[in-house]
Amino acid sequence: MADTDSFLHLARPLGPAPVGAQPSTAPLSVVIQPQAVFSILDHSLRRNQDQERVIGTLLGVRSEDGTEVEIRNCYAVPHTETAEQVEVDMDYQKQMLALHLRANPREVLVGWYATSAELNTFSALIQNFYGQQGDGTWPHPAVHLTVSTVPGKEIEARTYISAPIGVTAERAADSCLFIPVPYEIKYGEADKSGLELIAGAKDREDRTQGMLTDIEALERAIEQVLEMLERVSNYVSNVLDEETEPSSALGQFLLNALSLAPKVNPEDIERDFNNHIQDVLVVAYLSNTIRTQIDLSNRLATAALTLGTGDALGGDDKQKGGDRRQNKGNRGQNNRNQQQEA
Amino acid sequence: MADAVKEPSLRAVQIEALVVMKIIKHSSQSFPTTATGSLLGMDVNGTLQVTNCFPFPTIDAPAQDGHQQDSSSNVAAAAPRAKANTAYQNEMIKYLREVNVDAQNVGWYTSTSMGNFVNLNTIENQYFYQKEMNERTVALVHDVSRTSQGSLSLRAYRLSPAFMTAYKEGKFNTESLQKSGLRYQDILVELPLTIHNSHLLTSLLHQLPSQPPKEELKFPPNLAALNHDLNTSEPPLFPNFESLDLSIDPFLEKTCDLLLESIENHHTELNNHQYYQRSLAREQAKITAWQQKRKAENLARAASKQPLLPEDEYQRLFKLPTEPSRLEVLLNSRQIEQYARQVDGFTATVDAKMFAVKNNLHPGE
Repeated sequence: MADTDSFLHLARPLGPAPVGAQPSTAPLSVVIQPQAVFSILDHSLRRNQDQERVIGTLLGVRSEDGTEVEIRNCYAVPHTETAEQVEVDMDYQKQMLALHLRANPREVLVGWYATSAELNTFSALIQNFYGQQGDGTWPHPAVHLTVSTVPGKEIEARTYISAPIGVTAERAADSCLFIPVPYEIKYGEADKSGLELIAGAKDREDRTQGMLTDIEALERAIEQVLEMLERVSNYVSNVLDEETEPSSALGQFLLNALSLAPKVNPEDIERDFNNHIQDVLVVAYLSNTIRTQIDLSNRLATAALTLGTGDALGGDDKQKGGDRRQNKGNRGQNNRNQQQEA
Repeated sequence: MADAVKEPSLRAVQIEALVVMKIIKHSSQSFPTTATGSLLGMDVNGTLQVTNCFPFPTIDAPAQDGHQQDSSSNVAAAAPRAKANTAYQNEMIKYLREVNVDAQNVGWYTSTSMGNFVNLNTIENQYFYQKEMNERTVALVHDVSRTSQGSLSLRAYRLSPAFMTAYKEGKFNTESLQKSGLRYQDILVELPLTIHNSHLLTSLLHQLPSQPPKEELKFPPNLAALNHDLNTSEPPLFPNFESLDLSIDPFLEKTCDLLLESIENHHTELNNHQYYQRSLAREQAKITAWQQKRKAENLARAASKQPLLPEDEYQRLFKLPTEPSRLEVLLNSRQIEQYARQVDGFTATVDAKMFAVKNNLHPGE
């Protein structure tokens, strides 16, 4: 996501601390998982027509010392906002939190999100509600994530924590200091293949993408690699023709990459390759045969009686089928053993 | 649905990217325990649009020994049809409706490993959904171990109408199977699945990962600078270069193991059946012997003008063994088919990769 403005994040004590409890300066960094952002965007699309922004609760995990927060999940909370006042359905928030915690006992309340980049008095009010003692995130400050969803502009996310600021007692509830904190969008290994498929639809008119089979995915990856190789070799030949400016660093990098190719004896490759490919092919062949056998066995099981020859024959047929499959199973086993040796 | 008009049956399933990510998160978090949850969405002209989902709560049993883990996994797998979860689901839907989420249950999802999902639990869950909730529900099956291999494996299944009626009657003996013509291939119907992104999401995806800088860059002064250059873009999300990975044996091996296990099961079932048939034949032989004896006796009695003995008394004397249900065999066969297809699809890519490697390392052949 575009990170338009840079800022310096200094860890410093936040505001006046009440006796006995030292509010921490954490979190210092925030990690956002993609599904939380997806969920926020979905909520933003489903807002009521007259609503400028919608808010919701962020759930996640906090590292032991509290310096790092990972936002894993979130849910929408209905609220109404007018020029004079803001209403957040606190009962809804509580019930929903309880429901979510039943399914994900490890996640805790970490903060809230809003779908506009604006910070105003109401933001401070809601922020203080989320950061309060009791139901809130106390003693950690609540994390506030804003995701701007203005059509035609890039989606921008910001994360803040807050500190109380010294104002008169009657204004304390609706004022606080938002301190920007750095964040990162991180996805795990498992998320990656999901994101791949989702990202596959990003350049398509209908924004849909069918499921890819393994071989299709492989084909696309290879095409992409070939394209990249093409670009690099174009660059290299341009350098050779003295059309492009050469760079020793790039040359070195390419050489390093090339030297990664292992040197192996051709006979060794031939032998290993043949052994392995035969194993793989046999496994494929056997699995197809097994499928046919199972089909046959099922057909025989239901067809035997219609011949009117009694049960004995049906039993015999199945017996044979079973034996044959058993043999096959053993062969499969041997074959796998071979593979393990190879 | 209570519509009197017969609507066309479901033809396709379209799921939002949000649902994909949520399912992946939930199932990879709880792996190797089965993760299950509920799907929300609506049905538009035969296409089921799944727009949101939420996980079912699970009981966190302490996973100390294998047995206990098994039982907690079973609890999770049975979650979709548990009474407590129906209440949970209704409550969740009630709350989600307030924030304009499609508040209609359209099915459930489950995680699996290596395509190992064709079992009684899945069938019972889907039966429960198709019967109790409404007819137009699907089961989304997410294969965690295959997804970690590089390509997402998410499939939508339904129970076929033929299987539904058979399961309702609860009869799976040879006779009923012959009558209904139900085959193991017909138990589950797979629906084509597409993923749909919202406009906002498309916009976000164009920013992820960060774009390469637009302006012309200077050449790095040395190698170290190049390696730490902030401007080098991260690998794109699509296509995924993980699928070029060459470690192939573990997957193949695991599938073979599972395949063999299924074959063993199949064999056991067949043995059970044979045992039944042998005992049936034995009983029938006994009955025939008894009938002949009674007939001879009656002949003798007729000759001596005595009242005849009833000839249908054998029904009380002998009890025919009941036929074991063929449901297990059917499911097992379907599971074997699943594995076999998996192997088939997998070896196709393996072959391609291996030939590529060979030609690369051994040019000039």
